[in-house]
Amino acid sequence: MAMESARMRRVKKEILDCRNDKSSNISIDMIDDNPYHLKGTFFGPEETAYEGGRYDVDIVVPESYPFQPVKMKFITKVYHPNISSASGAICLDILKDAWSPVLTLKSTLISLQSLLCSPEPNDPQDAEVAKHYMTSRESFNETARYWAQIYAGAPGKGGGDASAAGKEKEAAGLSESSRAIALAGLSEEHVNKFVDMGFGFSKVVETLSRLNYRGDNAKNITNERVVEKLLE
Amino acid sequence: MSSEGSDVDFYYDDDDEMIVDDDEGSAISEDDMDGIDTYRDDYAAQPSSSKRKIYEVEFDTLPQEAVEGLIRKDVEYISSILGVETDAASLLLRHMNWNKEKLIERYMEDSAAQSAKAGIAPVEPPPAQIPPSSSRSSSSRSVKTSSAPKRVTRRTTAESALKAKALLTPEPSVEPESFLCPICCDDSQPKTLSLVCDHKFCADCWVHHLKNKIRVEGDYSIKCMASGCTLIATDSFVTSTLAEEPESVERYKELIVRSFVAANKALKFCPYPSCTYTVSCPNAATKSALTQMVPTVHCATESHKFCFGCPIESDHRPVICGVAKMWLKKCEDDSETANWIKSNTKECSKCQSTIEKNGGCNHMTCRKCKYEFCWVCMGPWSEHGTTWYSCNRFDEASGIEARDAQARSRASLERYLHYYNRWANHEQSAKLSADMYAKTEKKMEEMQITSNLSWIEVQFAKKAADELFKCRMTLKWTYAMAYYLQKDNEKEIFEANQSDLEQAVESLTELLESPIEAEDIPVLRQKMTDKTVYVQKRSEIMLEDTAKGFLENRWRWNVNVDGFEPATVLAD
Repeated sequence: MAMESARMRRVKKEILDCRNDKSSNISIDMIDDNPYHLKGTFFGPEETAYEGGRYDVDIVVPESYPFQPVKMKFITKVYHPNISSASGAICLDILKDAWSPVLTLKSTLISLQSLLCSPEPNDPQDAEVAKHYMTSRESFNETARYWAQIYAGAPGKGGGDASAAGKEKEAAGLSESSRAIALAGLSEEHVNKFVDMGFGFSKVVETLSRLNYRGDNAKNITNERVVEKLLE
Repeated sequence: MSSEGSDVDFYYDDDDEMIVDDDEGSAISEDDMDGIDTYRDDYAAQPSSSKRKIYEVEFDTLPQEAVEGLIRKDVEYISSILGVETDAASLLLRHMNWNKEKLIERYMEDSAAQSAKAGIAPVEPPPAQIPPSSSRSSSSRSVKTSSAPKRVTRRTTAESALKAKALLTPEPSVEPESFLCPICCDDSQPKTLSLVCDHKFCADCWVHHLKNKIRVEGDYSIKCMASGCTLIATDSFVTSTLAEEPESVERYKELIVRSFVAANKALKFCPYPSCTYTVSCPNAATKSALTQMVPTVHCATESHKFCFGCPIESDHRPVICGVAKMWLKKCEDDSETANWIKSNTKECSKCQSTIEKNGGCNHMTCRKCKYEFCWVCMGPWSEHGTTWYSCNRFDEASGIEARDAQARSRASLERYLHYYNRWANHEQSAKLSADMYAKTEKKMEEMQITSNLSWIEVQFAKKAADELFKCRMTLKWTYAMAYYLQKDNEKEIFEANQSDLEQAVESLTELLESPIEAEDIPVLRQKMTDKTVYVQKRSEIMLEDTAKGFLENRWRWNVNVDGFEPATVLAD
């Protein structure tokens, strides 16, 4: 009983503290008026591919909080080696064994924010994304930026064109297939090369993603190998 | 045993998980065993050595308190040698995985670094003055270690902010009213606690934290709750804080005992669920000892039988751990495949390739060597002529020759299956007779009610069934051993013993399975008791002779076995 009220007291205080602290730009809100199921929101850190994106995180406060870590996963889709591109699951030590009861919801969200700044590709959650990150950083950043624009509402990059109108125009101008290619971090030229051979579009995108056929790494993969994989 | 010295390196090359040999490994085991020897005099639970048979190993059963006593002894020893408090000694020992020599050596080299690594002293000197009550950690100042958390970068922002906050709050003389626990956010908690790092939290939160770590995570090295603080709660801190949680304290003690036992080669925790006994068996603590005996032991609960040397089976006597393991591996790899090959294929009589006939006529052409032969008689097809496709030439000389060649090449497979089938059969029979006995028992109980037989008079079958089960297990493993034994006189004696035991076991089984009528019981009882005694005797002879053989280094293997001379005659 005492435990229960301690958890309630602490979570309430944390939400309140976060609301009063305007400087951190982090917000925590209840989902369905349940104080133990929350939504945290923060912005992508500056000078990263995630800059300008708004990221929502699903937070579940376990019964033995704060002695057990909170459960967090991204609601907003993120292209990052330590975050599952499919489920939003996060690989971060403080959410597991490095948790300490003095850590708070806010401090954990700040840690997630800094995770966006400094990926740890050697301990990946999403192996394919990590491979992309390791082999061709530039192409990775491009894809991560594109995901930020599409899913997290980040403004489009590219000089003065970075206005909301420009972004919309850009998004509208892209065909369904170009969009899929950009989301997978591939180039249209590469995809078209194999589609022209007669392979299905989605099969080509899936296979090239799996092979990490991106940037400089594409040179290391022979056409024969791709075709072999496509025929599997 | 004494001649094994030069072979030691060879053993350690093996990937066997029993030998956990780090660089300093060899030094401790001896000392630890000394400790146990002296200790055994005070605590020996069972004088198991009194009537020990040659195939039995000497061992002691230690209740948890006894192991705690051993730990206490080590802690006091370290405490007096290094001049530290017992709490610190305990943390140091745990950090060094209970290796006293290594600990003393390392501590002498750099006591401050070791204290920091063991979680006794803070890594960085705390900005606040250490209160006089914790003066013991004088070595804590000016400590610098490289054991920084792996992923600091990710949470630096949050962490440094928190650290600053956490360190600012505690003051040695905080008024209870003004203290706001950063964990439960309660300012009405009258009591605060902290380790020497002085990170204060309310007593309630400490209790929850310790309980959660011990009960949920099974952790006994519990860090201070402050983020990034590497201090570990001492035994006295844990026990005093959890004074009102005796169950958690019990679990905490058990966790420490388990870690101590795991670090000591002469000790093993009883593997049965929720059993807290430890078995001490210094004689089976080395790998070379395991080539000379099968250390079947049990804890204070007689039925908790297990092998001290391996996790393969609770009792795999008479065959030693290494050979039993080899056999099981072979069975896993080969049995199904071998059975299939045996029943579905034949070999080309020329090149011995294995051939499966998947249809068509008996005119076979080997894919590999193009040899044409008849599937039925295995003779060359050329002698069949080209007109008839059914073979009636069974006795022709060339056909016999071809079949002989095939037979030879199959012999090893046959040989393996011979042993495997008997091995598997005894296991199966053991299970069946257990089931069968359950039925008999029921019948006996009924009889006890309907006739005027007393309870004791219907117990003879139980004894027979128990003995049968035991002997079937022994027999099972004799087949594993026989498979690897080199063919010589010793093996013949071994197989003679095996055969005697097997016959005795089979006839007792038959007796046990015979229908029981109330009027026959006295006769049956006499017969069965006699037979049981005979089986017991045969089993004794079997086990004794094998055990003696190991001690006398009599057994020769047809494969290379670790700890034995290389095989001279390899299996066909």
